[in-house]
Amino acid sequence: MAIYLDCNATTPVEPSVASMVVRFLEKDFGNAASPIHDYGVFALTAVEHARGQMAEVVRVRRDEVIFTSGATESNNLAILGLAEAGMKSGRRHLITTAIEHKSVLEPFDEMVRLGFEVQILPVQSDGRFDPQRLADALRPDTLLISTMQVNNETGVLQPLSEVGDILSNHAIWWHVDAAQGFGKEIEQLRHPRIDLISISGHKIYGPKGVGALIARKHDRQFPPLRPLMFGGGQEQGLRPGTLPVPLIAGLGEAAKLTVRNHNERIAKCRAFRKKVLATFSALGAEQNGAEDCTLPHVLNVSLPGINSEQAIKALKNVIALSSTSACTSHTHTPSHVLTAMGLSSKKVEQSIRLSWCHLTPEVDWPEVETILRRLRR
Amino acid sequence: MNDIFRELEKVTALQYDHHDLPKWLADPILMVARNPADYQGKEYLVEILVTQVREYDVYAEAGCCKWAYDHEDIKRTLRWLEE
Repeated sequence: MAIYLDCNATTPVEPSVASMVVRFLEKDFGNAASPIHDYGVFALTAVEHARGQMAEVVRVRRDEVIFTSGATESNNLAILGLAEAGMKSGRRHLITTAIEHKSVLEPFDEMVRLGFEVQILPVQSDGRFDPQRLADALRPDTLLISTMQVNNETGVLQPLSEVGDILSNHAIWWHVDAAQGFGKEIEQLRHPRIDLISISGHKIYGPKGVGALIARKHDRQFPPLRPLMFGGGQEQGLRPGTLPVPLIAGLGEAAKLTVRNHNERIAKCRAFRKKVLATFSALGAEQNGAEDCTLPHVLNVSLPGINSEQAIKALKNVIALSSTSACTSHTHTPSHVLTAMGLSSKKVEQSIRLSWCHLTPEVDWPEVETILRRLRR
Repeated sequence: MNDIFRELEKVTALQYDHHDLPKWLADPILMVARNPADYQGKEYLVEILVTQVREYDVYAEAGCCKWAYDHEDIKRTLRWLEE
């Protein structure tokens, strides 16, 4: 079996997370909305415990964590959920960046259909947007800014603290899609100016199908979100439906481990990175995104003279990797992220993304190098 | 494994010495904290107990929303630990 190097698509599940999920599937299967007996009370206790574990990572209150099915739903809720507030207030200007995930860009398309105006900020060749451009784009009728924390294709960390400073005196809602950075770059998301944070369970060694939207309250009030679904009133009326207790308990366990094991995970990823960089440097690969802003578990490179599809196929028995984000790879469209960074179509076609984690075993890097050199002949 | 029990002892002492945690509740919690061997396999419940003690509030049930834990929550978790 090839070594898995596609952790930005999804991570393996931590063993203790898997045990937690199984426990709440098999033994403690109560409904958290039915706390009239011990089964329900224990389920509710587990949900609230997990809520606290999530809250601790970003230092918010427990009641500011809304469980969802994942970052896609959280992004939709954060963006489309503010539509009514924008319509009522007449603030119809929205700002985002060209490298956002489709689950941000497509809700913005829907906002355009509803009569909003969306301004999309370009990015620089280093993979980051320019905070000054964002400052210049602000208008009195700006309702919402949505910026990702870490890009899924390049692993490049975005300048959020600068945005926080820019927005300190503006009454604009600020949403951060943190699917790729939550629990990996911890300090950034604790910035109190960020109003809404989207989180995905399966990017932090948790289960698929669960995530959260952090909604920071101001004067004990949530941002003026409207739910996208109705029926049940769970999650403070913002996300109805029976809570998936096994997934939520697993997510909480995964969140706990992001803090507890943070330094150890980073050290392992850095050590692994040295070998990846050495291998691809020897092959003359060009890194996409600035190394000093890239998280230690991701590398996006273009390999001169090698088509990425060919490379992935040739390496399939040694390493499992991808050429672009998992959510767009099935469409075979060129990466909108690398294109926005100014890469030529040729370089985009030569790009591969490797992403690993603390659970990744050793890779036979000389073998990888040999296979790729053979492709050039 | 013992980290979570040490944490329980620490947070219980803090809540008892400096806040409102009553002795009748602190004593059985400290019994758990000081006897980790008796609670092997129940670390998840101990972890929940740590949070409940840390966020203990006599008035947790007052007001419209419950965003703290009271003696009923802690008593229940202690009961689960003994089952």
